[in-house]
Amino acid sequence: MLTYKFDWGVLWRQPYGEWLLQGLWLTIQLGALAWVIALSLGILFGTLRSVRFWPLRIIGALYVEIFRNIPFLVQLFFWFYAGPMLLGKTLQFKINQISGLNYYIAIFGLGLYTASRVAEHVRAGFASIGHGQYDAVLSTGMTRLQMYWYVMIPHALRLIIPPLTTEFLTIFKNSAVAMTIGVAETTFMSYKIDEQTFHGLEATTGAMAIYLVLGMTVVKLMDRIESRFRIPGLMSR
Amino acid sequence: MIEIKNVSKWFGEFQVLADVNEVVQRGQKVVICGPSGSGKSTLLRCINGLEPYQKGEIVVDGVSLSDPKTNLYKLREKLGMVFQRFELYPHMTVLRNITLAPMKVRKKSRPEAEKKAMELLERVGIPDKAGAYPANLSGGQQQRVAIARALAMEPACMMFDEPTSALDPEMIQEVLEVMIGLAKEGMTMLVVTHEMGFAREVADEIIFMDAGRIVERGRGDDFFKNPKSQRTKDFLGQILK
Ligand SMILES: Nc1ncnc2c1ncn2[C@@H]1O[C@H](COP(=O)(O)OP(=O)(O)OP(=O)(O)O)[C@@H](O)[C@H]1O
Ligand SMILES: [Mg+2]
Repeated sequence: MLTYKFDWGVLWRQPYGEWLLQGLWLTIQLGALAWVIALSLGILFGTLRSVRFWPLRIIGALYVEIFRNIPFLVQLFFWFYAGPMLLGKTLQFKINQISGLNYYIAIFGLGLYTASRVAEHVRAGFASIGHGQYDAVLSTGMTRLQMYWYVMIPHALRLIIPPLTTEFLTIFKNSAVAMTIGVAETTFMSYKIDEQTFHGLEATTGAMAIYLVLGMTVVKLMDRIESRFRIPGLMSR
Repeated sequence: MIEIKNVSKWFGEFQVLADVNEVVQRGQKVVICGPSGSGKSTLLRCINGLEPYQKGEIVVDGVSLSDPKTNLYKLREKLGMVFQRFELYPHMTVLRNITLAPMKVRKKSRPEAEKKAMELLERVGIPDKAGAYPANLSGGQQQRVAIARALAMEPACMMFDEPTSALDPEMIQEVLEVMIGLAKEGMTMLVVTHEMGFAREVADEIIFMDAGRIVERGRGDDFFKNPKSQRTKDFLGQILK
């Protein structure tokens, strides 16, 4: 039996070391840009689920149910293969010519999926704000839109920073799925190194280390945000 | 200022308000008392359009709430409201709590809104708390901030819903003093409270509500000394003990 000879050098030898760094850079881009979409849409749909006007509540609920219950991988394939077709023949042709289309679809798909999860947290945040608060804001003459924008959303977001941290962390981990549509992010690159060098174990370990450091950085960042925005007097978890 | 004509309201089958009639003139102070569940809070919430009612009419400053064209948001600017549980925004400083509505609704500039807010904090006796957060204030201080927040919109009438019943006894007085000050300046006030000392001192009229009805109305000492209905007698007997 052949013994496996470790060669940790693949992690920094060129071009492999550079591949991993390129992969990391793409992972960061995917996660960060998808997070912007996830947070914006999550706040929007989470708020829709909480308003009094029922048609809006239904729209919010539909969004959450659809995106939360279908596996992310399936959603990604759908956007990648079927998405351009939804736009009609001419547009489909144009879209398919965009270079790096898979990159945009990965960001978009990851953002839409994560938004459904963020929306649920936002809704829980609203639910934990006492009803008197709504009366108080309205009694000062503010409109419902002003109430949500200036008081309720900032309040609710502060209450749900811990679960949001988890979602932010998860978005980077889920971004690995983008390799299935050919986005050359970290996991993709570690496979590519394996193909070329047969040192998949080292390459995968390298990828793991990258996700670990990235994850710890995200947690640190969110801790800072949490202490900056902590509501005074609220018991810390 | 406020006219309530034959107002009835139901929550499903349950009637919360039954043919309520009341007129509050400008500058008048009306105290509402009554047992728990008698519909006092609901009545206040109907007056500023936080709750709909099914029958009758409420007119505030010549504007009918029954009219679907009425802009409730504009109307609420005229009615300040103070709640039992203060309902300050816990994630904002005291100053921001007070300046938010004047800046967003009245489009006041920040310096202008803050100047007014500081005057109001001065008036309720806690100018040094402008930068504090609600959780760092005592209950009495929080309620005074809530009063300042309502006053910042320069309302024509102030409504109070049991403003002192969530407070420790030693803090009740500081809030009542602010309210008495307001009354003396001629503010129109509609106050749900069981603080009978306050009622005696400032009320032009005291209303006793039970099961959604106004059972009795009177003035100051007369109300306390000669209650007409047995229900009022029992109730006063309990709270004046
Ligand atoms: N949203 C609601 N749905 C159903 N019933 C309600 C609702 N709000 C209030 N009620 C009921 O209406 C009745 C009157 O309530 P309200 O809060 O006006 O009483 P209150 O006189 O203010 O009492 P308290 O002194 O306890 O504050 C109560 O029996 C209450 O249970
Ligand atoms: Mg009440």
